[in-house]
Order: sequence, then structure tokens, then C-alpha cells
Amino acid sequence: MKSTKFSPMTNEQIDRKWWEIGDFFRRNSLWMLMYCTGCCAIELPPAMTSAYDMERLGMGPMATPRQADVLLVTGYLSLKTLRRLIYSYEQMSEPKYIVGFGSCTINGGIYHDSHAVINQLDQYIPVDVYVAGCMPNTEAVMNGFIDLMELIKSKKADGWKRYEKNNAWYKKNQLDALGSVEVKDEFHQ
Amino acid sequence: MANLELIILIVLVLGVFAFLGGKLNKIIGTAFTILGSGFEFVSIAYYGFNSALDSTIEFIPYLSFMPTALGVFFGIILTFVFFMVSFFNPYFIDKYKYPAVYSMLYLFSLAGVIGVFFTDNFMTLFFFFELVVWTSLFLIPMGRSRKAASIYYGFSTFGSFALLFAILVMWGANGGSFDIETGLTALNGSETILVFMLMMVAGFAKLGAFPLHIWLPKVLTKSPDPVTAVFSGGLEKLGAFVSVMALLKLSPVGINIGVLDMQLTHYVIAFLGALTIVFGTLMAIRQDDAKKLLAYSSMSNGGYILVALALMSTTSVSGALYHVLAHALASTAAFLAIGAVARQTGTTKMSELGGMIHKMPVTYLVYLIAIISMAGIPPMGGFISKWLIFQAVIDKGLIFISMAAFFGSIGSFLYVFRPLAALFLGQELPEFKKTIKEAPLLMMIPLLVLSALNIFTGIYPTDILRLINKVLAELGIAQLTIDTWTITGNNGDLFPALIAGMFGIGVGVAFVIFIVLKKSKKVGLMDTYTAGNFIYTEELLHYSVDFYAPLERLYAKHTDIMKNFYKKLANKVKEFGAFVKYFFFTNKPEVTVIWIMIVIAFLLWGDVL
Amino acid sequence: MISILNVLLGLGVALFGFVLQTSVGGINRKVVARLQKRRGPKWYQEFLDIFKLLSKRAISHGWVFDFGVIMALGGIIATAMFMPVTNNIIAFEGYDNFFIFVYLIAVGMLGMAMSASGSGNPLASIGVMRALTTMLAYEIPFMLIVLTIIKLSGTSSVSGIAAFQQMSNHNWFAIALPLGFIVSVLSLMGMLGKKPFETYIAPAEIASGPMVEYGGKQLGMLFIMHEITIFIEVSLFVHLFLGGAENIAIFLVKYFLVYTVVNLISNVNGRFKIDQVVTFFYKWPLFLAVVQVIIAVYLGWVIL
Repeated sequence: MKSTKFSPMTNEQIDRKWWEIGDFFRRNSLWMLMYCTGCCAIELPPAMTSAYDMERLGMGPMATPRQADVLLVTGYLSLKTLRRLIYSYEQMSEPKYIVGFGSCTINGGIYHDSHAVINQLDQYIPVDVYVAGCMPNTEAVMNGFIDLMELIKSKKADGWKRYEKNNAWYKKNQLDALGSVEVKDEFHQ
Repeated sequence: MANLELIILIVLVLGVFAFLGGKLNKIIGTAFTILGSGFEFVSIAYYGFNSALDSTIEFIPYLSFMPTALGVFFGIILTFVFFMVSFFNPYFIDKYKYPAVYSMLYLFSLAGVIGVFFTDNFMTLFFFFELVVWTSLFLIPMGRSRKAASIYYGFSTFGSFALLFAILVMWGANGGSFDIETGLTALNGSETILVFMLMMVAGFAKLGAFPLHIWLPKVLTKSPDPVTAVFSGGLEKLGAFVSVMALLKLSPVGINIGVLDMQLTHYVIAFLGALTIVFGTLMAIRQDDAKKLLAYSSMSNGGYILVALALMSTTSVSGALYHVLAHALASTAAFLAIGAVARQTGTTKMSELGGMIHKMPVTYLVYLIAIISMAGIPPMGGFISKWLIFQAVIDKGLIFISMAAFFGSIGSFLYVFRPLAALFLGQELPEFKKTIKEAPLLMMIPLLVLSALNIFTGIYPTDILRLINKVLAELGIAQLTIDTWTITGNNGDLFPALIAGMFGIGVGVAFVIFIVLKKSKKVGLMDTYTAGNFIYTEELLHYSVDFYAPLERLYAKHTDIMKNFYKKLANKVKEFGAFVKYFFFTNKPEVTVIWIMIVIAFLLWGDVL
Repeated sequence: MISILNVLLGLGVALFGFVLQTSVGGINRKVVARLQKRRGPKWYQEFLDIFKLLSKRAISHGWVFDFGVIMALGGIIATAMFMPVTNNIIAFEGYDNFFIFVYLIAVGMLGMAMSASGSGNPLASIGVMRALTTMLAYEIPFMLIVLTIIKLSGTSSVSGIAAFQQMSNHNWFAIALPLGFIVSVLSLMGMLGKKPFETYIAPAEIASGPMVEYGGKQLGMLFIMHEITIFIEVSLFVHLFLGGAENIAIFLVKYFLVYTVVNLISNVNGRFKIDQVVTFFYKWPLFLAVVQVIIAVYLGWVIL
């Protein structure tokens, strides 16, 4: 007799179910790649050590982009570092998330009129969570991480999908700002 | 029944044909080498396994033969190595100056090898021993290195003269007979020790063991790739054969070291074997040339054979004999794989190569299996022999020798991995991206057969161990306890097939885990973590020069001790020569005349006396 | 004879080892956190990490990159299958030879090294080089001590050695061979890649060495492999030196204590340079090991 309670799931539903299970693991074990570009990076040591202890959330620092889930952009980004940031971001394995620190990643902050610093990080790579402030409090940083977990739970942390979908737009912005993302000169041959 | 002399005669005749055919066309000559060595292997293996070799009918006058289990064991291994390597000959023949001569000498040295193993007469043994030396001597400079050949000749002659001296001492003791069996037993007292030492010198010189090892890396690096494989897998094992004779058949009774329960003579040999292991390992770690690296690894493995033979217990001797087989298979496969790479790229320097796996995957797998066996890792043949040897070493409780054995075994992981990482893996260098192809089909045959045998000897060693048991019985040593699947050592059992099976199951489980998970995205080799830097040059991302630099630094100052010793010795000999020349062959005739007169006077005076 | 049940039991041991070490590892993270005045992660954090990695979409650098990972995990699973857990829980009675553990583990290591080098990253090759060099350093003293143990107990079967220590008139080898015990603790720290000897991981220096290019499922599989490797090494230590285990509870207690103590020692240490690792092991541990062999094997001074 066919059970009425358990109607067979379609493939999409099964995929969704698996994805939800995966999301549970992903949000409880976020490994960070810290791209310490600016002054906000100083907020990370207290967040990691005994004062706030981010390890209790399952977060930890990782050595390379291949292993990491979250890219932390801590502060202003000069054009030179933006190249490297994009390169590192593209090396990360999916799903991947970005957290932007401080007002510099939102609107340029105190460097908003500099010729060498970009103003809006979201123009070049997709940011999932911003942590505002110049510089943000450690509590704010921890809050940002918890927000990211909530976003993953509610499937709203989809920056990497946006990057794939609107890739042409992002690439155009990158090229407009940088000329070319990859540099080829005598120092890199 | 098959007649041994006929077998030897056939290979000699085929050698002549190879020369004549080679004069017509190079390839025909090499076809004769394949045919000849293949015939030898098949006949020796087939009749040897069924103990149907004899020499009742005399085809060659004055030479007498007698098949023994030991001879059959060694004969099968060496003819097999010759047979496998001969498939490589057609591809390398273009590089030789005298292709026809090469084909002939190849078969002649094979005949010499068979003669050494099957004779029952010391003079015949010496004759064939010299045949091997002289033919291989001319095979070496085909790679255009005269120096290597002369060094080889120097050490070989030293060994040969020692052997001749030993033979003559035995001849004297045995009442003018050159018979091997009675000759070895006829000795007594200090003569035994003398003969033992002389024969061990011959064995050391042939095996390339410390301190007579200088020729081995030189010859194995400089000679053509097939000859290298023959040397490492085959001709070196002549030394093991002579050592078996001296250590087990002769086995002099000298001073017994009480605490170790071992003869001093044997302990010295084992100690030198241990030094060979350590020295070979340390030198192999340093090398940049893949062939030289493998050459030093052959030296270190020769040390294992010596150590195991010197311990004289059931497990150790069977381990030594099994090691002869396992190392012959593994090192031939490794050298041939490197040879295949050398043929396709023209170099064996690891600092110049990289990423060959993408173009030569089969060669890579062959090399991988060979090194797993060479490092003594299950489920390959090398593990069985190392296990047996360790059983014996631990049972005896010899600290320094076991230390060396462990060191060599872990050290072998280091050096065998280096060509794997630097030559086959790593970045694919641009100069090899387009032009390189996988080795041709005929070269694949020996590579694949050897790999299959490397695995087979590690899974089902029973048949080979039965053959070894026959040898043990002949040598008067208690037999190894073997079951269809298990081997019983001194302090435990081994079930090789179980290990291999479980490895298979483990890999199966891992494969299932791998395959059910999400498919991974393919990226290029240059898309790699560089800390955000943009690098476009493959060489910058290829770590192959000075691979073990931090380790090498610790002993780099002390690597040339033996070389310097021999250099100094050579200088002294030269000085002596100059001294003699100064006195006897000056351009002043009167001095020469005076000397001649003094010598004549001296001789006459002696006569009067 | 070997039946399918033995094989299943072996696979069960491997799975048990994975679960055990992953939990103990998680608890140890908590222990270390408390040491540093932190709260620490959940005790099952390591499971979350591994399953997360398995759920991600990884990259691959070609077939040898994947093949090496499979070979690594397969080799380690195969090794764990031979491991005795207690006196009764042992998959292949009589074939748990010590040398199998030393050499079969090497297949897994070789697979990982191969795969790492196949990624084409120089840092990975440097990491492999350091791992092999470290291995050359710590194995020799350890093997000498094991030689003594095999010589004294007359068997090289790991469960046999454990049974030898459980006899009424025998001590554990930790007490019988005090110098050897010190040496083997140091060697165990080298084997586990714990702090003074974790030169080949060195995240700040060579970006986690062999693991530099892995992410997603390959890294997850290597984590599983790593956990099972630790299980093998620690339980080998328990059987060789601490008298094995009569039942599973004793095994768990001994296992947990060994791993925690080693972990605590490692957490108050810095990191050696690679040549310092080699010279360290070839100085005192080797000397102590030789002394131990001489007094135990030749002089017979064993506290039995």
C-alpha cells in the first residue's frame, strides 16, 4: 500500500533538502581567509582570542583561499590589492561568502576621495555582509558573523551565485577600475 | 631435459648472428637480442622450475656445468632482466657508435651470466665472470663515457684478481682440482678466512658495496639507459651470487662474538653492508640526476642483501634471496621508466624536467609501482623481503645494523619520492608541453610486465618462496615455513594477499566516498595558490632543485670522504709510477743501462744464493 | 580463515577510529580552549568541519590529484582495519603485525604526497619534503624501541605485545622501559605532527604545506584520513606501551589520556625549523634509545 503521508519527492526537492543539510554544516563551520588590507584587521585578534572567542561559533582562520569559506575584507582596498583580492576570491571553492569590514568597503570611508582606493567593494565582488563603523567594534564584528550565519540559514547569502550570474557586469566594473585584473610585467614573469 | 651447454651455445651463436644481422640493419641486430634473451629466459625458467636442466652431453670441451637450485634462482632472475631490457634496445640503438657490436656483446654478457650461475668448476666460473666483465666493459662506453668504463674496469679487475687468488688458494688446498663443492669444503683454518675475504672483495666489487662502490653510480649514470637497467637489475646481482658462496657455503669459523652470537667475519660483512645502506641512502637523497639517484639506491639495496646474507638465519637468507628478485624487478622497472623519459626528452636531470605525468601517464604508473616496491611498502614485492629481513635483524637484536636498516628503509621513501615529485609531478614545463608523447608500444611491454610482476610478487610470494626453500635446503639452512597464503617469520605471520585485499577494499571505500560527492571543477596547474600574486612562469612554481636542501645541509661536508680516499690512492699510484719512470726510463741511456746491470746482477746473485 | 565478517569488523574498526578520534579531537579543542581561557567550540565541531568540507564544490588539478587522495584514504582505511582495539575486538587475529602499520600507513602518506605534488604548488612539495624529513628523524629512535619490545615479548603482533604486558607478572612497557617511553612519546609527537614538530604544516610559513591546494571534498577526505591516522598512531602507542586494553572502556580512557597529554604538551611549545627537528631527534632521543636497547636486550635490566 502506498503511504499517503510521504509523497515521493521530486529531484529538485531532494536537492533542496541536501542543500539545507549542507547549509547547516556550512554555517556552523565557517573558515575564514583574512585579507587584512586595512586597519579593521586589528579587530580580529580580540574576536579570536579569549575575550570573544570566535571558535565557539565554529569559526577559524585558514591558510589558503582553497580551504576557506569566508573572505574577510578588512578595510580600504587600493587598486593594487583589489587585483589580488579578486584573484583570491576566484580561487575559493563554492559556496563562498564575503564580509566587508568598516565604512571603507561601503563607501570609501575616509579615503573616499583618494585616486588609488576604490569606494564601493560591492561593485567589484559580491559582498554578503557589511560590518559598519570606522572602525567597527568587536561586538559589531561578532554580530556580523552571526548575521552571516542567519543569512546562510535563510538562503540569502548568495553572493557567489550573483557573481556567477552577473559576471559580465562585475568584470566590466573591474576592468573599468583596474585596466586589467591580471598584471603582466617584468616583475611577474 | 634440456642441456645447459646447448643453451649457452645457442645464445653465443645468436650473438654472432646479431652482429652479422646488425651489420645489415641495426634493428635486425636488436631483434636478435630480444629473440636470444627471450629464448634463454623461457628455457631456463621452464626447465629450471621443472628441475630438468642437465649437462650430461658435453658440447663445449673443458667446460663443465651443473645446475643448482641457487643457480636456477639467479639464472631465472637475470635472464628475465635481460629479456625485459632487450625490448628497449631497438629504440636506443641509433645512439650507439657500434650498433652491431652492441647487440653481440649484449648476448655474450648474457651467456657469461648463465655460465657463472651454472658451472661447477672454478676456472669455468672465472672464465665466464671475466666474459661478463669484458663484454659489459664495452657496453658502457656506448654512452660515450670512457672514464666510467675505466673506473668500472679498475674495480672489476680488483674483484676479479681477488677471486682468482681465492680460486688458486682453493686449488692448492683441494689437491689440484677446481671443483666448486669440494673446493669450498677442502679449506681449513686461516686459509678459509683468507679465501673468504678474497671472495667477499670480489662480491663487494661486483655488488658495488661500501667501500668498493665508486664505480656503481658512475657506470649507472654514464652508460646507455638499457645497459643501466641491466647493470642495476642484473649484473650487480653477480656480486650477491659470489657473496652467497662465501658467506653461506664457505662460512669460516673464526672468533665468535658472544653477546651477539655471531661470527666476527660475518658481523664485519653485515656492518659493511649497513654502512652501504646508510651511505647509499644519504648519497641518493642528494642527487639531481634521476639515474644517479637510482644508482645509489641500488647500492643501498645491495647493502640489504649483504646484511641479510651475513645473518645466516632462515628468514634472513630467504629475505636476501627474495630481495634479489624484488629489487631486480623494481629497479629494472624504475630504470626503464626513467630511460623511457630520457628517450622522449633527452635528459634525466630532475631540475630540467617536470610534469611528465600529463604526457606519459603509463610510465608514471610503472615508476610509481616500482618505487613502492623499492621502498618496501605493501602490497608490492619489496615489502615481503624487507619484512623477512627485519624479522631476522630484530631476532638477532643487532642495534647498529638494525638502525641502518630502518634508516635505509625510511630514507628510501625520501629518495624515491624525489623523481616522482620533481620529474613526473609538479608544473608541466612549457618545453615539454607540445612535443612529448607516451613511450612507444614495444617499450610498454616490459614496463607493464614488470609492474604486474612487482604487484604479483607482493601478493602471492608462495611459489617463489618454494623455489627459495629449495635453495635453502641446498645451502643447508632450515626451510622457511610457508602456507599457501601466509609466511611465518621469527616472531609473527604475514598474509600478503590479505594486506593487498584490504588495501583494495580501502581504496574501494574511498572511491565510493569520492564518487558520490559533488563533482569537482577542473582547473589548470597554473591556477594555484600564490598568495595573490600573478605568476605566469612554470619554472617559478616548480620545486625541483635542491629538494632536500635542509637535510642535505646537515651532512653535505662529509659526502666526499670515499671519493677523496680513492683520489689520494690514485695520486699515490701515479707518484709511484713517476718515481719508477724517473729512475728506469729517463732519457739518459747510461742510467738505464746501470739499472739493467744491477737487476741482472741481482738476479744472478739470487741464483747463486 | 578470513571471512566477510572479519572484513566488516575491520571496516567497523576504521569507522570507530574515525568517530572516536574526531570526537576526542573535538573535546581536545575544548580542553585547549579552556587552557587559553576561552569557551571553545562544540565537542562535535570536527564532524561539522568535515561534513561541511564534503558538501562543498571542490577544484581538481588533474587525475593524479584525485587519485592520490583516494589512495591516501584507502591506504589508511586498510591500515586501520588491522588495528586491534581491545583483546577481543580485532579483525584479523594473528596478522596485526607491527610492520604492517608502519609500512601500510606509508601507502596512505605516499598517496597524499603524490596528490599534493600533483597540484603543482611549490609550497605543497616543500611540505611533503618536510614531512618526509621529519619521518626520517622520528622513526629511527621509535623503531629501535619497538625492536626492544619485540625482542622482549617475542612477537611482533601488536595484540600479542599487549597480551604480553597483561600477564600477571609483567609490567607495561611504559614502566619496563622508562627511557624508551620518553623517546616514544617524543616520537609520537613527531608522528602526530604536534607542535614542536609540526614543521611540515606550518600554516603561517608554507600555508599548511601539503594541504595548500585542497578544498571541498578532497580536503574533507584528507581530514578523514588524518583522523584515522591519528587513531592508528595513538592506539599503536596504547598497545605497545600501555598494555593494550581488556575492554573498550579501558581503551577509551587510555586513548583519551594519551592524546590529551600529547596535545597539552604541544600547546605550550613553539615550532622547530626542519633541520632542528632532525638534529633534535638524532641527538637525545636516539642516544636514549640506543642506551635503552643495550640495557634491555644485552644486559637484561628490564623492570618486569
